[in-house]
Amino acid sequence: MSDINTPFSAVQIYLAKRRWKLNLALLTVLVLTLLGLAAVIVAITLAFELGGSKTPKYAADPQHFMHASIGAEANSGLPYWMWKALPKLFPAEFKGRDDYKAFGFLYETDANGNESDLPVGISKRQVYGVDVVWFNCATCHVGTWRTAAGGPQHITPGMGSNNFNLYAFIQFLLAAGADERLSPDTMIPAMKQAGAHFNPIQEAFLRYAVLPQVREGLVERRSRLGPLLDAQPAWGPGRVDTFNPYKLLLQLPPGSHVPDAELVGTTEFPAIFDQRPREGMQLHWDGNNNSLAERNLSAAIGAGVTAASVDHPAIDRDAAWLMDLKPPASPYHPDPAAVARGQAIYMQGCASCHGWQGANGYVFQGAALGKVDPIAQVGTDPNRLNSYTQGFRDWQVSALFAGTPYHFTHFVKTDGYANLPLDGLWLRAPYLHNGSVPTLADLLAPPAERPKSFLRGSDVIDPVKGGFVAPPCPVGPASTGAAPADGFCFDTAQRGNGAQGHAYGTDLPAAQKADLLAYLLTF
Amino acid sequence: MAFDEIFQPLHFRNLTVKNRIFRSNISGRFDNEDGSLTQTRINWESKFAHGGVGAIISSYVPVLMEGRIIAGYATVHRDDFIPLWAKLGEVIHGLDSKFIMQLSHSGRQMDFPGVHNLARKTLSSTSNKETLHGFLTQAMSKADIDHTIAAFARGAWRAREAGLDGVELHAANGYLFSQFMSSGINDRKDEYGGPLENRARFLLNVIEAIRGAVGRDFHLQVKLSAVDHNNVVPWEKPGNTLEDTVQIAKWAEAAGADAIHVSQGSLFPHPLNPPGDLSLETLTTTYDAMISSGVNGMRNYMLFRYPFLRPIFHWAWFRMKKGKPVEGVNLEEARVIKQAVSIPVLCTGGFQSASFICDALKTGAVDGVSIARSLVANNDLVQQWAAGHDRPPKPCTYCNRCLVSAMKNPMGCYDQSRYPDRETMIEEVMSVYRAHAPMVAPSKAVMST
Repeated sequence: MSDINTPFSAVQIYLAKRRWKLNLALLTVLVLTLLGLAAVIVAITLAFELGGSKTPKYAADPQHFMHASIGAEANSGLPYWMWKALPKLFPAEFKGRDDYKAFGFLYETDANGNESDLPVGISKRQVYGVDVVWFNCATCHVGTWRTAAGGPQHITPGMGSNNFNLYAFIQFLLAAGADERLSPDTMIPAMKQAGAHFNPIQEAFLRYAVLPQVREGLVERRSRLGPLLDAQPAWGPGRVDTFNPYKLLLQLPPGSHVPDAELVGTTEFPAIFDQRPREGMQLHWDGNNNSLAERNLSAAIGAGVTAASVDHPAIDRDAAWLMDLKPPASPYHPDPAAVARGQAIYMQGCASCHGWQGANGYVFQGAALGKVDPIAQVGTDPNRLNSYTQGFRDWQVSALFAGTPYHFTHFVKTDGYANLPLDGLWLRAPYLHNGSVPTLADLLAPPAERPKSFLRGSDVIDPVKGGFVAPPCPVGPASTGAAPADGFCFDTAQRGNGAQGHAYGTDLPAAQKADLLAYLLTF
Repeated sequence: MAFDEIFQPLHFRNLTVKNRIFRSNISGRFDNEDGSLTQTRINWESKFAHGGVGAIISSYVPVLMEGRIIAGYATVHRDDFIPLWAKLGEVIHGLDSKFIMQLSHSGRQMDFPGVHNLARKTLSSTSNKETLHGFLTQAMSKADIDHTIAAFARGAWRAREAGLDGVELHAANGYLFSQFMSSGINDRKDEYGGPLENRARFLLNVIEAIRGAVGRDFHLQVKLSAVDHNNVVPWEKPGNTLEDTVQIAKWAEAAGADAIHVSQGSLFPHPLNPPGDLSLETLTTTYDAMISSGVNGMRNYMLFRYPFLRPIFHWAWFRMKKGKPVEGVNLEEARVIKQAVSIPVLCTGGFQSASFICDALKTGAVDGVSIARSLVANNDLVQQWAAGHDRPPKPCTYCNRCLVSAMKNPMGCYDQSRYPDRETMIEEVMSVYRAHAPMVAPSKAVMST
């Protein structure tokens, strides 16, 4: 049977033949169009890939540490112009300022007294052609000190970020993600008001791709982190819960909650001076890793990098610089005789765990230095120890950077806290892993006599007690204490904030304690 | 009598016509698909005989089914149609008019192939597609030519057998004879192509064959396009000149033609034939019937359909009309031809004013005029002239809606401005069907053949 649609008229037969040629021509055009389209897509992708990783370079290592990107922007960052616009859109949260000091970010000033465009610890990188900003190592590891209130502030790389209220900043961003002020209709004019100029294509890309994606990311993060942060006591400035957010963002399936036993892991931002002698020591507060490289990369994940976005050379440069970064010399000048007496006491009771300050610098020696003391022995607040679990450790070593040379292998679950070297001790306040003891003098007091609450956030050196001025404060509902200037009332009764344990030297006679303190102030 | 020149008899060698007005060849799809003519055809032609024309030139009558121009028009390709044509002739004679059958072959200009021709290319002098609609074409072999010549002779014989008054060879307007004669179309390398005498050979051989079939005493006239103007499609060659046509007319006279009928253009329709306007809007409702006839059908339809494309067609079509009159558009060419031959010369082209025609006759430009559209508009035009009206009160407006409606609708005047309302117009158009033939029960023998 012939096909009912076989052409039979002369015209249709002719057209069918001609149509073959026409179809071939159309097919050719189609193929060429598709190839052209593919070429455009490849070109755009390449442009994004090549142009998308552009990031400012810094000649000096300290500037690199404080301002260069480590690759956290792509996954976690905010568009640069959104960063600039947020203070204008949220004046209450930013305390009416046009910068980020309300959250404790630090700004350097140049010779003319002009503040830097971006704060310390905020780096910039192009992602898909858009300038994006986010954290680097300096966010958490650059602090300040001054000898007197109102005196000059010394920005000190390698010191824990005693001003930065990460908890308040994250809470702000998570709330802003659901705020209508982040809609393109509001945000784009605010960006322009902040100085941005967009061509129509850039504006469309921003409106229909970038801003919706950023908001989506914030909403998703809020969904994941919000319940955790709400359940935890506010961290206050200078503190962070390292591993619990990490679990929720990377390990656990959506909708998960951190088990109550692990719920609070909040600790001080640690100082990171002089890393070379620390290689092989048990690092992190609980000593869960003895590889500097893994510890560095793990910390970078905390800052927001991913296996795809991480900038290894940038991190390696930081790591190399930190190897021999010395803390600034102690500004204290205690009585040398008392120091000598104190050193004798220290060498007897403390040096084997912590090393000591010698005439020519810190001596990283001691039988137990860099090793973990069991929690039962050291007796400090166990929450941070409990927040890092065997299960999480197993996931870290199986999943993170798997199949790459950076695959984690050194993480372990420990049973206590590590004995740290005390170089730059005067900048490490408040003390203990959770920052629960404001001064060295308080640390030498029996735990029951240590301050029950004190104000965090000051960078003024306490001339007598060691550490920062930390007057008592009324204990009440945990403050989210956004601004260091206002201070943050730290309540040792809150979960994870316990000031107990590490009772070493607390039973010394007062004179010996004074001598020991005199020696400690020279570190 | 007013306009006396019009009402003088015209004596041809073998035929005398009572006045100088000929109904030019025009009809509608009034006949059967097999080519047999119908009562409607008789009604149609009778309208003009009633109106007083001296003679009716039939619409084109194919001598072969493969030479149809539009299916649904009567043919003369079968002997058993002779009685049908005889009946028509009898009716026309009864109305004191003459009937001249226009013998035709479409060649490549086949507007509606019909079921007979749908599956084959049309025969022509050339294998090149028709230029306007893209009708597909196959160059005729010599056997095809011989077969076609014989068919014309047989067609003329059938006309004579039917008692009709003469035949006209439709050697104008782009049909088969034109396709042989035109230097713009004929690309043959044999004795039917090349120089003018070769290109005219097919026509002259047909005249000779007809004379062989019907003898010397049967009226035979030839319709010629004075000038081809073949380049309506701008990249085509212009074709034959007036000088060429004068020569062909002389050869035709020598071969035995009794009269020459002058028209214009090597395709139909042509900007100069029929002269006047062209309603692209009407074409959007009718040309769709022709889309499948040629390979350019869809292209053309889009040119008509979409107003933003219309300027393209409008330019190509109307550029040739510049400076040309509508009434008597071919008259000066006819005058030249008449001066070259000794047989009577007729002319077509927009005639509607008695005084204008009288002048043409008095000055010896022509011996008679043929009229189509003005008679469709006013069937009794001749009687109006006889009554002293130079032009009818509601003249033909040369809008050509009759022309562009022909593909789909019954032939008639579709210029609504000439009617009180649309209903009246439709009623007038439908009047051709008004007289009903008696219905009969067909015999078994008739149905089985």
